[in-house]
Amino acid sequence: MSKDKLQYDVIVVGAGMAGSTAAAIAAREGLNVAVIERGVKPGSKNYFGGALYTHALVDIYPDFFDRKPPLERPVTETGFWFLSDDGLVKATVQGGVVNSDPIDAYVALRAEFDPWWAEQAVAEGAFIIPKTLVEDFLYEDGKVVGVKTDRPEGDVYAPVVIVCEGVNNLLTQKLGLIDHDLKISKTALAVKQMISIPAKDINARLGLPDNNHGMAISVMGDVSMGLAGLGFLYTAKGALSLGVGVTLDALQESGIKPYELLQRYLEHPAIAPLIKDGQMMEYGAHLIPEGGWTTMPRLYTDGVLVAGDAASMVNALHWEGTNMAITAGKQAGLTAVEAHKKGDFSAKSLSTYQDKLSDLFVLQDMKQYRKFSAFLKNHPQFMDIYPTFINDALGMFFTGFGKPKRKLYKDILRSLTSRRPLFKAIGDIIAFGRSIIGI
Amino acid sequence: MIHLLVSVKQVPDTTNIRIDPETGSMIRKGVPAILNPYDAHAVASAAEWKKKLGGKLTVVTMGPPAAEEALQECIEMGADRAVLVSDRAFAGSDTLATSYVLAEAIRKIDQEDHVDMVFFGKQAIDGDTAQVGPGVAIRLGLPLVTYAVEIQDINEEEGYALIIRKTESGKEIIKTKLPAALTAEKAIADIPYAALPDLITSLKYKPEVWSAQEPVAYDVAQIGLEGSPTMVAKSGSPEAHEPAETISVEENGLAGAVETALGKMLSNTSVAALLEDQQ
Ligand SMILES: Cc1cc2nc3c(=O)[nH]c(=O)nc-3n(C[C@H](O)[C@H](O)[C@H](O)COP(=O)(O)OP(=O)(O)OC[C@H]3O[C@@H](n4cnc5c(N)ncnc54)[C@H](O)[C@@H]3O)c2cc1C
Ligand SMILES: Cc1cc2nc3c(=O)[nH]c(=O)nc-3n(C[C@H](O)[C@H](O)[C@H](O)COP(=O)(O)OP(=O)(O)OC[C@H]3O[C@@H](n4cnc5c(N)ncnc54)[C@H](O)[C@@H]3O)c2cc1C
Repeated sequence: MSKDKLQYDVIVVGAGMAGSTAAAIAAREGLNVAVIERGVKPGSKNYFGGALYTHALVDIYPDFFDRKPPLERPVTETGFWFLSDDGLVKATVQGGVVNSDPIDAYVALRAEFDPWWAEQAVAEGAFIIPKTLVEDFLYEDGKVVGVKTDRPEGDVYAPVVIVCEGVNNLLTQKLGLIDHDLKISKTALAVKQMISIPAKDINARLGLPDNNHGMAISVMGDVSMGLAGLGFLYTAKGALSLGVGVTLDALQESGIKPYELLQRYLEHPAIAPLIKDGQMMEYGAHLIPEGGWTTMPRLYTDGVLVAGDAASMVNALHWEGTNMAITAGKQAGLTAVEAHKKGDFSAKSLSTYQDKLSDLFVLQDMKQYRKFSAFLKNHPQFMDIYPTFINDALGMFFTGFGKPKRKLYKDILRSLTSRRPLFKAIGDIIAFGRSIIGI
Repeated sequence: MIHLLVSVKQVPDTTNIRIDPETGSMIRKGVPAILNPYDAHAVASAAEWKKKLGGKLTVVTMGPPAAEEALQECIEMGADRAVLVSDRAFAGSDTLATSYVLAEAIRKIDQEDHVDMVFFGKQAIDGDTAQVGPGVAIRLGLPLVTYAVEIQDINEEEGYALIIRKTESGKEIIKTKLPAALTAEKAIADIPYAALPDLITSLKYKPEVWSAQEPVAYDVAQIGLEGSPTMVAKSGSPEAHEPAETISVEENGLAGAVETALGKMLSNTSVAALLEDQQ
């Protein structure tokens, strides 16, 4: 082997949503891009719910749908399911705004989508180096000039490195862009199962007319055993993806094991029939950075940009992560291109990355939702009392036959106030509003 | 210059198998394809010996175009040349057809550049028949050492190799003349962790693709479905058979041991019947 040093214009760490996007954008502008991925293949280490959001995908490839992406089902019905310990209220929407063209969200499997998304970057000219872990950075005069991998002769040089390493952001920490490791109060552990069920049974059980209709559901209430967290249900073609995410500190304090949580969710009387006779295809656990703005590292330094989960870009309430990663990846790619044009890779030159994201939903939403993760933790009522109340109230309203209605309404109100005084409940609603409006 | 050749197969990662509940067949979509693990160890061993002796390492596979990835992995481990025998005409080949195709490909490679040793994996983790190695060896007239766990020596000058093979009761050291063939256990060598420049070279490597006509003109009656008489009626796990009996030379003396062994064989009715047939 020649001892020439391995030199590229841009190094991207991680071939996830953010990484393959950053690479595609930079390569499209003619830069020589290497993507270094520790997995055997892009996506081999990645899990999500989940749904991908059309706006971000077509922003990168306007002909996205013509490229035959591996998508499972469009999301034609979406919303909340509220679970009590033995009941369920569904608040979902279909048709109307949801029936857009193209549909706003698509269920996908990351093990299939990520390699495909990476292939699109390769078609733009990026080069993917799998099975290789980036361990550290190479510095010259205190500036990052490349990365050190775990392989022999493993140094790779580039004037700008885009770090898209996902939630476990060890490299970002190494750079000192954030002064702490993952915070257990701001990081959720999501456990999920993919359960294979014949498509026709999925359609029958969930009331979907055919395989071109699908669901993305956020599940609140009994799913998290009172801990701060959310459950989900997504429909793939021949499988259901069900999971639940709760913050690490809640798990630790309660002593509840993540798989117990999931098992209980799957055995819930309203859920069990949906997955009857299904076969478990995949069992996975993955972290979600939920601190948003409060755990966001500095996004750039000399020779480095950070994007996606590594930079805590997730909106937990809306299950938005991939679109943030893609959008930030694109802006990081563009910033690297500009830096090459200027020939200036200093922090100052790369700071335009943050300006770009501030003009977009990414940083605006992060800032607006900055209090949300703390809100959930401080308001466990949203995990048990209110979902149960919704179940009771709706149930009583539609069963109070032959009962004086005045008494019925009193009973309904009491089912709330016996658990939470009215003024506190009103306070909770206002607090929720404030946490998402960001005041 | 030694020339080693490894015959490798790309297989679905059976640690990751999913079954379609509707059809009962294996879902290949999304199941990662990998280099058959035994073959990977065979390549690692061949690469070690190539490095030690100086020479050349060629790998060959019969498979779909995507098998290119398995070949790239062999290049990463140190192979110099990779041949992908790929044609729709080969689809549906059983072990008989597969070993015909591989044997002719290896014969062709050998004509261009004499091959000293051909390595196979012990078995493929999807088909599991362990028939392809022996099938190829017999077609090429090569002595075969199965279940090899260690190569002690390859002596090109004197034309022999010393190979240790695993048996049910222990190990055997086999001295075989070259050219020879072996099927490898995982113990034969550890998988190396390639240097980054070698990995990058392998990722850019494009194997030679051979069709059913060029450069070997295959007999269509011997390939694909037509060349595959195997019918799978049922599949399952066989019962474990009794381990072979060991008669110790140390305890009985050589003559005594042979005598005891012959006595036991003759008292076995099926062996006796066989001998009668022969006479
Ligand atoms: C259960 C669950 C459900 C979710 N549901 C949704 C949903 O429905 N919709 C949605 O939009 N988002 C969802 N998300 C969030 C979404 O998955 C993430 O926000 C998104 O994947 C982030 O993309 P990324 O590129 O930043 O990171 P990742 O996709 O995690 O990619 C990081 C990559 O970097 C690689 N890597 C890491 N470190 C190194 C290293 N040192 N060297 C080399 N390679 C490295 C990893 O192997 C990985 O491939 C969900 C997440 C979870 C866990
Ligand atoms: C029950 C059953 C049903 C099958 N049904 C079909 C079918 O319907 N259609 C069909 O196409 N196939 C079918 N096959 C597969 C096919 O018969 C075998 O996979 C193939 O012939 C190789 O045999 P093997 O996998 O058992 O390899 P083994 O003999 O176990 O492999 C031993 C070694 O031979 C070498 N080797 C094996 N295959 C190759 C190769 N292709 N290229 C290079 N080297 C190789 C490798 O070194 C490997 O380690 C079936 C197999 C089984 C067991």
